[in-house]
Amino acid sequence: MDDVLKFSFADFFFNDSENVLNPPSDFQEWMQDPRVQYGFSFFEQQLLKAPRAKTEILSNIDGKKRSVINLTSYNYLGLSTHPEVIEAAIEGLKKYGLGASGAPLLSGTFDLSVKFAKMLADFKEKEACLLYSSGLGGNMGAIQGLLRKGDYLIMDEKCHKSLVDGGTLSGAKMQFFKHNDIEHLNQLLEKYKDKRILVAIEGVYSMDGDLAKLPEIVEVIDQYPNVAIYIDEAHSTLMFGENGRGVAEHFGLEHKMGITFGTLSKSFGGVGGFVCSNKDIIRYLQGYSSPYNFSCAPAPSIVAGLIKALEVATRDSSLRDKLWKNTEYFKKGLLDLKLDIGETESQVIPIIIGSDGNMLFEMAAELQTKGLFLQPVDFPAVPAESRRFRISVSTQLSKEDIDEALNIIEDVIAKRLKTI
Amino acid sequence: MTKDDVVAVIVENILDNLDDVEEGEIDTSKSMKDYGANSLDIIEVVSTSMRELKIKIPRTELADIDTIDSLADKFLEYVNK
Ligand SMILES: Cc1ncc(COP(=O)(O)O)c(C=O)c1O
Repeated sequence: MDDVLKFSFADFFFNDSENVLNPPSDFQEWMQDPRVQYGFSFFEQQLLKAPRAKTEILSNIDGKKRSVINLTSYNYLGLSTHPEVIEAAIEGLKKYGLGASGAPLLSGTFDLSVKFAKMLADFKEKEACLLYSSGLGGNMGAIQGLLRKGDYLIMDEKCHKSLVDGGTLSGAKMQFFKHNDIEHLNQLLEKYKDKRILVAIEGVYSMDGDLAKLPEIVEVIDQYPNVAIYIDEAHSTLMFGENGRGVAEHFGLEHKMGITFGTLSKSFGGVGGFVCSNKDIIRYLQGYSSPYNFSCAPAPSIVAGLIKALEVATRDSSLRDKLWKNTEYFKKGLLDLKLDIGETESQVIPIIIGSDGNMLFEMAAELQTKGLFLQPVDFPAVPAESRRFRISVSTQLSKEDIDEALNIIEDVIAKRLKTI
Repeated sequence: MTKDDVVAVIVENILDNLDDVEEGEIDTSKSMKDYGANSLDIIEVVSTSMRELKIKIPRTELADIDTIDSLADKFLEYVNK
Protein backbone atom coordinates (compact mmCIF):
# COMPACT_ATOMS: atom_id res chain seq x y z
CA MET A 1 0.00 0.00 0.00
CA ASP A 2 1.91 3.03 -1.18
CA ASP A 3 -0.72 5.69 -0.64
CA VAL A 4 -1.79 4.85 2.92
CA LEU A 5 -2.99 8.34 3.68
CA LYS A 6 -5.65 8.12 1.01
CA PHE A 7 -7.29 5.27 2.85
CA SER A 8 -9.70 5.57 5.76
CA PHE A 9 -12.17 3.50 7.73
CA ALA A 10 -14.42 3.79 4.68
CA ASP A 11 -12.19 1.31 2.87
CA PHE A 12 -12.01 -1.74 5.08
CA PHE A 13 -15.63 -2.51 5.84
CA PHE A 14 -15.71 -5.61 3.66
CA ASN A 15 -13.49 -8.33 5.00
CA ASP A 16 -12.30 -11.15 2.78
CA SER A 17 -9.98 -12.94 5.18
CA GLU A 18 -10.90 -16.62 5.49
CA ASN A 19 -11.32 -16.55 9.23
CA VAL A 20 -13.85 -13.98 10.45
CA LEU A 21 -11.69 -13.36 13.52
CA ASN A 22 -8.95 -11.94 11.32
CA PRO A 23 -9.39 -8.39 10.08
CA PRO A 24 -8.67 -7.75 6.40
CA SER A 25 -4.94 -8.21 5.74
CA ASP A 26 -4.54 -4.79 4.18
CA PHE A 27 -6.28 -3.25 7.20
CA GLN A 28 -3.48 -4.57 9.40
CA GLU A 29 -0.89 -3.20 7.06
CA TRP A 30 -2.65 0.17 6.96
CA MET A 31 -3.13 0.39 10.72
CA GLN A 32 0.52 -0.38 11.41
CA ASP A 33 1.83 2.36 9.20
CA PRO A 34 3.38 5.03 11.46
CA ARG A 35 1.62 7.83 9.59
CA VAL A 36 -1.75 6.21 10.18
CA GLN A 37 -0.93 5.50 13.80
CA TYR A 38 -0.04 9.13 14.26
CA GLY A 39 -3.51 10.12 13.03
CA PHE A 40 -5.17 7.69 15.39
CA SER A 41 -3.14 8.91 18.33
CA PHE A 42 -5.54 11.87 18.55
CA PHE A 43 -8.41 9.59 19.35
CA GLU A 44 -9.21 7.90 22.63
CA GLN A 45 -7.00 10.22 24.62
CA GLN A 46 -7.68 9.88 28.32
CA LEU A 47 -9.41 12.61 30.28
CA LEU A 48 -7.99 12.76 33.78
CA LYS A 49 -10.71 15.03 35.16
CA ALA A 50 -14.39 15.85 34.59
CA PRO A 51 -15.30 17.18 31.12
CA ARG A 52 -15.49 20.77 32.35
CA ALA A 53 -14.50 23.75 30.20
CA LYS A 54 -11.07 23.39 31.77
CA THR A 55 -9.88 19.85 32.15
CA GLU A 56 -6.79 17.69 32.01
CA ILE A 57 -5.86 15.04 29.47
CA LEU A 58 -3.17 12.44 29.14
CA SER A 59 -1.92 13.42 25.72
CA ASN A 60 -1.31 10.57 23.29
CA ILE A 61 0.99 12.84 21.33
CA ASP A 62 3.80 12.84 23.86
CA GLY A 63 2.42 10.89 26.83
CA LYS A 64 2.29 14.04 28.97
CA LYS A 65 -0.47 15.26 31.25
CA ARG A 66 -1.79 18.54 29.99
CA SER A 67 -4.24 21.16 31.27
CA VAL A 68 -6.49 22.17 28.41
CA ILE A 69 -9.42 24.35 27.49
CA ASN A 70 -12.01 21.81 26.48
CA LEU A 71 -13.79 22.57 23.21
CA THR A 72 -14.65 18.97 22.43
CA SER A 73 -16.90 17.50 25.16
CA TYR A 74 -20.66 17.72 24.60
CA ASN A 75 -21.22 19.10 28.09
CA TYR A 76 -22.96 22.07 26.45
CA LEU A 77 -24.75 23.35 29.54
CA GLY A 78 -22.20 22.15 32.06
CA LEU A 79 -24.81 19.91 33.69
CA SER A 80 -22.54 16.88 33.98
CA THR A 81 -20.71 18.70 36.77
CA HIS A 82 -23.47 20.94 38.11
CA PRO A 83 -23.33 20.73 41.93
CA GLU A 84 -27.06 20.09 42.31
CA VAL A 85 -26.93 17.35 39.69
CA ILE A 86 -24.01 15.66 41.36
CA GLU A 87 -25.75 15.88 44.74
CA ALA A 88 -28.93 14.31 43.33
CA ALA A 89 -26.94 11.54 41.65
CA ILE A 90 -25.14 10.76 44.92
CA GLU A 91 -28.48 10.52 46.72
CA GLY A 92 -29.78 8.25 43.96
CA LEU A 93 -26.67 6.13 44.14
CA LYS A 94 -27.00 5.70 47.89
CA LYS A 95 -30.64 4.79 47.72
CA TYR A 96 -30.76 2.60 44.60
CA GLY A 97 -27.20 1.40 44.10
CA LEU A 98 -25.19 1.54 40.91
CA GLY A 99 -27.22 -0.14 38.21
CA ALA A 100 -30.80 -1.16 37.41
CA SER A 101 -30.09 -4.91 37.51
CA GLY A 102 -32.68 -5.75 34.91
CA ALA A 103 -34.53 -4.87 31.72
CA PRO A 104 -37.54 -2.57 32.21
CA LEU A 105 -40.12 -5.31 31.64
CA LEU A 106 -39.14 -7.53 34.54
CA SER A 107 -37.25 -5.60 37.16
CA GLY A 108 -35.53 -2.56 35.66
CA THR A 109 -38.40 -0.09 36.08
CA PHE A 110 -37.85 2.18 39.09
CA ASP A 111 -40.14 4.85 40.45
CA LEU A 112 -37.45 7.31 39.38
CA SER A 113 -37.46 6.17 35.75
CA VAL A 114 -41.28 6.38 35.56
CA LYS A 115 -41.13 9.87 37.03
CA PHE A 116 -38.38 10.98 34.67
CA ALA A 117 -40.13 9.59 31.57
CA LYS A 118 -43.28 11.49 32.58
CA MET A 119 -41.25 14.67 33.11
CA LEU A 120 -39.69 14.31 29.65
CA ALA A 121 -43.05 13.68 27.96
CA ASP A 122 -44.54 16.76 29.67
CA PHE A 123 -41.49 18.80 28.77
CA LYS A 124 -41.72 17.80 25.11
CA GLU A 125 -45.54 18.22 25.19
CA LYS A 126 -46.11 14.68 23.97
CA GLU A 127 -48.29 12.00 25.53
CA ALA A 128 -45.62 9.50 26.46
CA CYS A 129 -41.92 8.81 26.56
CA LEU A 130 -39.69 5.77 26.36
CA LEU A 131 -36.31 5.84 28.10
CA TYR A 132 -33.27 4.02 26.78
CA SER A 133 -29.94 3.40 28.42
CA SER A 134 -28.11 4.67 25.33
CA GLY A 135 -28.77 7.49 22.88
CA LEU A 136 -27.67 5.40 19.94
CA GLY A 137 -29.81 2.57 21.26
CA GLY A 138 -32.80 4.90 21.41
CA ASN A 139 -32.58 6.00 17.80
CA MET A 140 -31.74 2.57 16.52
CA GLY A 141 -34.41 0.92 18.64
CA ALA A 142 -37.18 3.37 17.85
CA ILE A 143 -36.62 3.14 14.08
CA GLN A 144 -36.25 -0.62 14.24
CA GLY A 145 -39.44 -0.81 16.30
CA LEU A 146 -41.47 1.43 13.98
CA LEU A 147 -40.53 0.21 10.50
CA ARG A 148 -40.84 -3.09 8.71
CA LYS A 149 -39.77 -4.66 5.46
CA GLY A 150 -41.53 -2.86 2.62
CA ASP A 151 -41.60 0.47 4.50
CA TYR A 152 -39.46 3.44 3.54
CA LEU A 153 -37.15 5.45 5.75
CA ILE A 154 -36.39 8.67 3.92
CA MET A 155 -33.71 10.65 5.68
CA ASP A 156 -31.36 13.55 5.32
CA GLU A 157 -27.98 12.33 4.06
CA LYS A 158 -26.32 13.89 7.11
CA CYS A 159 -28.35 11.88 9.62
CA HIS A 160 -26.49 10.12 12.41
CA LYS A 161 -25.36 6.49 12.14
CA SER A 162 -27.83 5.43 14.85
CA LEU A 163 -30.74 6.32 12.53
CA VAL A 164 -29.14 4.52 9.60
CA ASP A 165 -28.47 1.45 11.71
CA GLY A 166 -32.09 1.48 12.88
CA GLY A 167 -33.15 1.48 9.24
CA THR A 168 -30.85 -1.43 8.43
CA LEU A 169 -32.14 -3.45 11.37
CA SER A 170 -35.77 -2.79 10.53
CA GLY A 171 -35.46 -4.19 7.01
CA ALA A 172 -37.10 -1.05 5.59
CA LYS A 173 -35.72 0.50 2.43
CA MET A 174 -33.67 3.61 2.99
CA GLN A 175 -33.40 6.63 0.75
CA PHE A 176 -31.28 9.66 1.55
CA PHE A 177 -32.16 13.14 0.37
CA LYS A 178 -29.43 15.69 -0.22
CA HIS A 179 -28.80 17.69 2.89
CA ASN A 180 -31.76 19.99 3.55
CA ASP A 181 -32.71 19.76 -0.13
CA ILE A 182 -36.48 20.15 -0.12
CA GLU A 183 -36.88 19.50 -3.82
CA HIS A 184 -35.03 16.19 -3.53
CA LEU A 185 -37.11 15.22 -0.51
CA ASN A 186 -40.24 15.98 -2.48
CA GLN A 187 -39.06 13.81 -5.40
CA LEU A 188 -38.50 10.86 -3.08
CA LEU A 189 -41.87 11.33 -1.38
CA GLU A 190 -43.57 11.45 -4.75
CA LYS A 191 -41.75 8.32 -5.90
CA TYR A 192 -42.60 6.24 -2.85
CA LYS A 193 -45.92 7.78 -1.85
CA ASP A 194 -47.74 4.46 -2.00
CA LYS A 195 -45.52 3.06 0.77
CA ARG A 196 -45.52 3.61 4.52
CA ILE A 197 -42.97 6.39 5.00
CA LEU A 198 -41.05 7.82 7.93
CA VAL A 199 -38.93 10.92 7.28
CA ALA A 200 -35.98 11.30 9.66
CA ILE A 201 -34.16 14.57 10.21
CA GLU A 202 -32.06 16.22 12.89
CA GLY A 203 -32.73 19.49 14.65
CA VAL A 204 -29.05 20.50 14.66
CA TYR A 205 -26.75 18.55 12.35
CA SER A 206 -23.83 17.33 14.39
CA MET A 207 -20.90 17.93 12.04
CA ASP A 208 -21.97 21.32 10.68
CA GLY A 209 -24.12 22.83 13.39
CA ASP A 210 -26.76 23.95 10.91
CA LEU A 211 -30.48 23.43 11.45
CA ALA A 212 -33.06 21.38 9.59
CA LYS A 213 -35.09 23.62 7.29
CA LEU A 214 -38.10 22.61 9.25
CA PRO A 215 -40.78 24.97 7.91
CA GLU A 216 -40.02 23.94 4.31
CA ILE A 217 -39.75 20.26 5.21
CA VAL A 218 -43.11 20.34 7.00
CA GLU A 219 -44.73 22.16 4.11
CA VAL A 220 -43.67 19.44 1.68
CA ILE A 221 -44.56 16.56 3.95
CA ASP A 222 -47.99 18.04 4.65
CA GLN A 223 -48.89 17.35 1.03
CA TYR A 224 -48.65 13.62 1.64
CA PRO A 225 -51.09 11.92 3.98
CA ASN A 226 -49.61 9.54 6.54
CA VAL A 227 -45.98 10.54 6.16
CA ALA A 228 -44.59 10.83 9.69
CA ILE A 229 -41.66 12.95 10.85
CA TYR A 230 -38.97 11.69 13.23
CA ILE A 231 -36.77 14.45 14.58
CA ASP A 232 -33.48 13.78 16.36
CA GLU A 233 -32.90 16.68 18.76
CA ALA A 234 -29.65 15.28 20.21
CA HIS A 235 -27.82 18.59 19.80
CA SER A 236 -30.76 20.93 20.41
CA THR A 237 -32.80 19.72 23.39
CA LEU A 238 -32.56 22.04 26.42
CA MET A 239 -30.93 24.67 24.22
CA PHE A 240 -33.20 25.78 21.35
CA GLY A 241 -36.65 27.32 21.63
CA GLU A 242 -38.25 29.69 24.11
CA ASN A 243 -38.53 26.90 26.68
CA GLY A 244 -35.56 24.85 25.57
CA ARG A 245 -37.61 22.11 23.98
CA GLY A 246 -35.56 22.09 20.80
CA VAL A 247 -35.46 23.17 17.19
CA ALA A 248 -39.08 22.15 16.59
CA GLU A 249 -40.10 24.61 19.31
CA HIS A 250 -37.75 27.21 17.82
CA PHE A 251 -39.75 27.00 14.58
CA GLY A 252 -43.13 26.65 16.32
CA LEU A 253 -43.68 23.26 14.68
CA GLU A 254 -43.67 20.79 17.55
CA HIS A 255 -47.21 19.61 16.79
CA LYS A 256 -45.98 18.42 13.38
CA MET A 257 -43.29 16.18 14.81
CA GLY A 258 -44.71 12.68 15.06
CA ILE A 259 -41.89 11.42 17.21
CA THR A 260 -39.05 13.28 18.82
CA PHE A 261 -35.76 11.86 20.02
CA GLY A 262 -33.26 13.27 22.48
CA THR A 263 -30.07 12.02 24.01
CA LEU A 264 -29.28 12.33 27.70
CA SER A 265 -25.55 12.41 27.11
CA LYS A 266 -24.99 15.89 25.68
CA SER A 267 -26.83 18.91 27.13
CA PHE A 268 -28.24 16.70 29.92
CA GLY A 269 -24.73 15.68 30.97
CA GLY A 270 -25.58 12.04 31.72
CA VAL A 271 -26.08 9.04 29.48
CA GLY A 272 -29.09 7.46 27.77
CA GLY A 273 -31.72 8.44 25.23
CA PHE A 274 -35.47 8.93 24.93
CA VAL A 275 -38.26 9.20 22.41
CA CYS A 276 -41.58 10.98 22.93
CA SER A 277 -44.71 10.43 20.87
CA ASN A 278 -48.37 9.43 21.22
CA LYS A 279 -49.05 6.97 24.00
CA ASP A 280 -50.27 4.16 21.76
CA ILE A 281 -47.13 3.99 19.65
CA ILE A 282 -44.93 4.26 22.74
CA ARG A 283 -46.83 1.32 24.23
CA TYR A 284 -46.26 -0.60 20.99
CA LEU A 285 -42.55 0.26 20.96
CA GLN A 286 -42.19 -1.10 24.48
CA GLY A 287 -42.86 -4.49 22.97
CA TYR A 288 -40.86 -4.16 19.77
CA SER A 289 -37.87 -1.95 20.43
CA SER A 290 -35.03 -4.28 21.33
CA PRO A 291 -32.64 -1.82 23.02
CA TYR A 292 -35.55 -1.03 25.35
CA ASN A 293 -36.93 -4.44 26.17
CA PHE A 294 -33.86 -6.64 25.80
CA SER A 295 -31.32 -4.42 27.52
CA CYS A 296 -30.76 -3.30 31.07
CA ALA A 297 -32.75 -0.18 32.01
CA PRO A 298 -31.00 3.15 32.63
CA ALA A 299 -29.09 3.19 35.92
CA PRO A 300 -31.29 4.75 38.64
CA SER A 301 -28.27 6.61 39.99
CA ILE A 302 -27.92 8.35 36.64
CA VAL A 303 -31.67 8.93 36.32
CA ALA A 304 -31.62 10.68 39.71
CA GLY A 305 -29.01 13.09 38.35
CA LEU A 306 -30.89 13.52 35.08
CA ILE A 307 -34.12 14.50 36.86
CA LYS A 308 -32.21 17.28 38.56
CA ALA A 309 -30.50 18.22 35.29
CA LEU A 310 -33.89 18.68 33.62
CA GLU A 311 -35.11 20.76 36.57
CA VAL A 312 -32.02 22.97 36.58
CA ALA A 313 -32.08 23.51 32.81
CA THR A 314 -35.77 24.40 32.70
CA ARG A 315 -36.41 26.37 35.89
CA ASP A 316 -35.13 29.46 34.09
CA SER A 317 -33.27 30.24 30.89
CA SER A 318 -29.95 31.23 32.46
CA LEU A 319 -27.89 28.26 31.28
CA ARG A 320 -28.99 28.47 27.67
CA ASP A 321 -28.80 32.26 27.66
CA LYS A 322 -25.16 32.00 28.68
CA LEU A 323 -24.57 29.31 26.06
CA TRP A 324 -25.90 31.58 23.30
CA LYS A 325 -23.89 34.49 24.59
CA ASN A 326 -20.73 32.37 24.52
CA THR A 327 -21.62 31.02 21.09
CA GLU A 328 -22.12 34.49 19.62
CA TYR A 329 -18.88 35.73 21.11
CA PHE A 330 -16.94 32.71 19.88
CA LYS A 331 -18.43 32.89 16.40
CA LYS A 332 -17.64 36.57 16.09
CA GLY A 333 -14.04 35.89 17.06
CA LEU A 334 -13.73 33.14 14.45
CA LEU A 335 -15.30 35.29 11.76
CA ASP A 336 -12.93 38.13 12.64
CA LEU A 337 -10.15 35.62 11.92
CA LYS A 338 -11.86 35.03 8.53
CA LEU A 339 -12.15 31.32 9.22
CA ASP A 340 -14.67 29.17 7.35
CA ILE A 341 -17.30 28.13 9.88
CA GLY A 342 -19.77 26.85 7.30
CA GLU A 343 -23.47 27.40 7.87
CA THR A 344 -23.53 26.93 11.61
CA GLU A 345 -26.50 28.33 13.50
CA SER A 346 -25.82 26.62 16.80
CA GLN A 347 -23.32 25.87 19.55
CA VAL A 348 -21.65 23.36 17.21
CA ILE A 349 -19.12 25.37 15.22
CA PRO A 350 -16.93 23.76 12.57
CA ILE A 351 -13.66 25.30 11.46
CA ILE A 352 -13.34 23.92 7.96
CA ILE A 353 -9.77 23.69 6.78
CA GLY A 354 -10.17 21.79 3.49
CA SER A 355 -8.86 18.57 1.99
CA ASP A 356 -5.36 18.46 3.46
CA GLY A 357 -5.44 15.64 6.00
CA ASN A 358 -1.78 16.04 6.93
CA MET A 359 -2.26 19.67 7.77
CA LEU A 360 -5.34 18.81 9.84
CA PHE A 361 -3.33 16.52 12.10
CA GLU A 362 -0.35 18.83 12.29
CA MET A 363 -2.62 21.61 13.43
CA ALA A 364 -4.34 19.27 15.88
CA ALA A 365 -1.02 18.44 17.52
CA GLU A 366 -0.05 22.08 17.77
CA LEU A 367 -3.42 23.09 19.21
CA GLN A 368 -3.06 20.46 21.88
CA THR A 369 0.49 21.32 22.84
CA LYS A 370 -0.63 24.94 23.17
CA GLY A 371 -3.40 23.90 25.58
CA LEU A 372 -6.54 23.47 23.49
CA PHE A 373 -8.50 20.24 23.43
CA LEU A 374 -10.03 20.61 19.98
CA GLN A 375 -10.30 17.38 18.05
CA PRO A 376 -9.81 16.96 14.30
CA VAL A 377 -12.69 15.50 12.31
CA ASP A 378 -11.49 13.55 9.30
CA PHE A 379 -13.04 11.71 6.34
CA PRO A 380 -15.29 9.65 6.32
CA ALA A 381 -17.04 11.42 9.22
CA VAL A 382 -17.06 14.52 7.02
CA PRO A 383 -16.48 14.96 3.25
CA ALA A 384 -12.83 14.59 2.22
CA GLU A 385 -12.72 18.15 0.88
CA SER A 386 -13.99 19.71 4.09
CA ARG A 387 -11.95 18.21 6.90
CA ARG A 388 -12.34 20.27 10.00
CA PHE A 389 -12.15 20.99 13.67
CA ARG A 390 -15.44 21.08 15.48
CA ILE A 391 -16.02 23.29 18.48
CA SER A 392 -18.65 22.37 21.06
CA VAL A 393 -19.34 25.62 22.89
CA SER A 394 -20.15 25.26 26.58
CA THR A 395 -21.93 27.46 29.06
CA GLN A 396 -18.98 26.87 31.37
CA LEU A 397 -16.48 28.73 29.17
CA SER A 398 -15.53 32.13 30.54
CA LYS A 399 -14.80 35.10 28.29
CA GLU A 400 -11.13 34.65 29.17
CA ASP A 401 -11.24 30.98 28.11
CA ILE A 402 -12.74 31.93 24.76
CA ASP A 403 -10.21 34.73 24.26
CA GLU A 404 -7.37 32.35 24.95
CA ALA A 405 -8.86 29.69 22.69
CA LEU A 406 -9.19 32.27 19.91
CA ASN A 407 -5.57 33.30 20.37
CA ILE A 408 -4.41 29.72 19.97
CA ILE A 409 -6.70 29.19 16.97
CA GLU A 410 -5.31 32.35 15.41
CA ASP A 411 -1.72 31.18 15.90
CA VAL A 412 -2.23 27.64 14.73
CA ILE A 413 -5.02 27.74 12.18
CA ALA A 414 -5.60 31.25 10.89
CA LYS A 415 -1.91 32.09 10.41
CA ARG A 416 -1.26 28.82 8.62
CA LEU A 417 -4.28 29.18 6.35
CA LYS A 418 -3.27 32.81 5.86
CA THR A 419 -6.80 33.98 6.41
CA ILE A 420 -5.43 36.99 8.24
CA MET B 1 -9.26 -7.81 -18.87
CA THR B 2 -11.41 -5.55 -21.05
CA LYS B 3 -13.79 -2.83 -20.08
CA ASP B 4 -16.71 -5.09 -20.98
CA ASP B 5 -15.49 -7.64 -18.43
CA VAL B 6 -15.36 -4.95 -15.78
CA VAL B 7 -18.82 -3.68 -16.67
CA ALA B 8 -20.13 -7.24 -16.48
CA VAL B 9 -18.84 -7.61 -12.92
CA ILE B 10 -20.45 -4.33 -11.85
CA VAL B 11 -23.76 -5.15 -13.51
CA GLU B 12 -23.86 -8.55 -11.86
CA ASN B 13 -23.36 -6.94 -8.46
CA ILE B 14 -26.04 -4.37 -9.17
CA LEU B 15 -28.47 -7.17 -9.97
CA ASP B 16 -27.45 -8.99 -6.79
CA ASN B 17 -27.86 -5.98 -4.56
CA LEU B 18 -30.78 -4.01 -5.93
CA ASP B 19 -34.36 -5.22 -6.07
CA ASP B 20 -36.58 -4.42 -9.01
CA VAL B 21 -33.79 -4.10 -11.59
CA GLU B 22 -33.75 -6.31 -14.69
CA GLU B 23 -30.60 -7.30 -16.54
CA GLY B 24 -31.40 -5.74 -19.92
CA GLU B 25 -32.56 -2.56 -18.29
CA ILE B 26 -29.20 -1.27 -17.09
CA ASP B 27 -27.80 1.65 -19.03
CA THR B 28 -24.19 2.22 -18.05
CA SER B 29 -24.31 5.91 -18.84
CA LYS B 30 -26.60 6.26 -15.84
CA SER B 31 -25.94 6.32 -12.11
CA MET B 32 -26.87 3.48 -9.80
CA LYS B 33 -29.06 6.04 -8.08
CA ASP B 34 -31.26 6.03 -11.16
CA TYR B 35 -32.05 2.43 -10.31
CA GLY B 36 -33.07 3.22 -6.76
CA ALA B 37 -29.69 2.60 -5.10
CA ASN B 38 -28.94 4.54 -1.92
CA SER B 39 -25.42 5.38 -0.81
CA LEU B 40 -25.16 2.16 1.23
CA ASP B 41 -26.22 0.05 -1.76
CA ILE B 42 -23.60 1.79 -3.89
CA ILE B 43 -20.86 1.05 -1.36
CA GLU B 44 -21.97 -2.57 -1.39
CA VAL B 45 -21.82 -2.82 -5.19
CA VAL B 46 -18.50 -0.99 -5.39
CA SER B 47 -16.87 -3.04 -2.63
CA THR B 48 -18.02 -6.43 -3.83
CA SER B 49 -16.98 -5.56 -7.38
CA MET B 50 -13.52 -4.46 -6.24
CA ARG B 51 -13.17 -7.66 -4.29
CA GLU B 52 -13.96 -9.71 -7.37
CA LEU B 53 -11.58 -7.68 -9.49
CA LYS B 54 -8.89 -7.90 -6.81
CA ILE B 55 -8.32 -4.17 -6.70
CA LYS B 56 -8.53 -1.62 -3.92
CA ILE B 57 -9.30 2.02 -4.61
CA PRO B 58 -9.61 4.48 -1.74
CA ARG B 59 -13.14 5.82 -1.33
CA THR B 60 -11.79 9.35 -1.52
CA GLU B 61 -10.93 8.68 -5.19
CA LEU B 62 -14.41 7.51 -6.01
CA ALA B 63 -16.26 10.53 -4.68
CA ASP B 64 -16.77 12.28 -8.02
CA ILE B 65 -17.81 9.25 -10.04
CA ASP B 66 -21.42 9.50 -11.07
CA THR B 67 -22.09 6.87 -13.75
CA ILE B 68 -21.61 3.11 -13.99
CA ASP B 69 -19.47 3.73 -17.03
CA SER B 70 -17.03 6.05 -15.29
CA LEU B 71 -16.83 3.61 -12.39
CA ALA B 72 -15.82 0.90 -14.86
CA ASP B 73 -13.14 3.19 -16.32
CA LYS B 74 -11.71 3.84 -12.87
CA PHE B 75 -11.73 0.13 -12.06
CA LEU B 76 -10.03 -0.71 -15.34
CA GLU B 77 -7.25 1.78 -14.58
CA TYR B 78 -6.47 -0.16 -11.40
CA VAL B 79 -6.94 -3.62 -12.95
CA ASN B 80 -4.27 -2.74 -15.50
CA LYS B 81 -1.86 -1.24 -12.96
C1 LIG C 1 -27.45 13.34 16.05
C2 LIG C 1 -27.12 12.30 17.06
N1 LIG C 1 -28.03 11.36 17.36
C3 LIG C 1 -27.77 10.40 18.27
C4 LIG C 1 -26.57 10.33 18.93
C5 LIG C 1 -26.33 9.22 19.90
O1 LIG C 1 -26.32 9.66 21.19
P1 LIG C 1 -25.40 9.01 22.33
O2 LIG C 1 -23.98 9.44 22.07
O3 LIG C 1 -25.95 9.61 23.56
O4 LIG C 1 -25.55 7.54 22.26
C6 LIG C 1 -25.61 11.31 18.66
C7 LIG C 1 -24.31 11.36 19.36
O5 LIG C 1 -23.46 10.58 19.32
C8 LIG C 1 -25.87 12.29 17.68
O6 LIG C 1 -24.95 13.21 17.36
